[in-house]
Amino acid sequence: MARDGESRSFRRKFCKLCLDKVERIDYKDDRRLARFITDRGKIVPRRISGTCARHQAQITEAVKRARILALLPFTSDQYR
Amino acid sequence: MKLYETTIIYDPSLEESRINEEIERVTQPIGSAGGEVVDVQRWGKKKLAYVIRKRRDGTYVHVKHKSPPSLIAEMDRRFRLNESILRHLTIMAPKEEPRVEGAPVEGAPGVSAPAVISD
Repeated sequence: MARDGESRSFRRKFCKLCLDKVERIDYKDDRRLARFITDRGKIVPRRISGTCARHQAQITEAVKRARILALLPFTSDQYR
Repeated sequence: MKLYETTIIYDPSLEESRINEEIERVTQPIGSAGGEVVDVQRWGKKKLAYVIRKRRDGTYVHVKHKSPPSLIAEMDRRFRLNESILRHLTIMAPKEEPRVEGAPVEGAPGVSAPAVISD
C-alpha cells in the first residue's frame, strides 16, 4: 500500500555543530569526528548529516588529518 | 616564526627513556633554530585505526612549537629517516582566539579590530 510520501517526515535538517556552537573542529578530537563517518569509514555527505557548508569543510579536513594519524580508519576491512 | 603542531607516532616497543630521548631530538633543533617549544603532550600508547608497519599500537607524542618555516622541511626529512617513527604529521596551528562569553561579535559594526602587535 503506497502512502504517497505522506509517511515520510520532512523534518528540517539542521547543523548539529552550529547547534553546539562549535567554533573549530579539531583533527585530534576523533570521538567527535567519528559521528561524521560511516561504519565503513566514509565521510557522511552533507545531504545526509545536514551539516552546514562551513562545518562540513572543517569536518573533511579534520577527518583526513585524523586518518593520517591513524585516529580514524581510511576504510574498514572487516567486511572482506 | 609560525605556530605548528607536530604529532609523531613512535614504535610501541620503545621504552619510556627512549621516547624521552626521541622527544629531545625533536625539541632540541627547534630551540637552536630560534624557535620555541610551546607544549609537549604525551598521549601514550594508543590503538591505531589501521595497521602501520605491522604495528597495531603506537606511542603518540604531540608537540606545539613556534618554528621558522624552513625547519619544517628539515624536520620532515629527519622523521622519514627515523626508523622508530611510524607516522608523523605537522600542521600549521590555528590561531588561538580566546573566546570570551559576551565578547563583541567579530566584524560587528562600530567595533574596529584591535591593532595587531607584531613581534
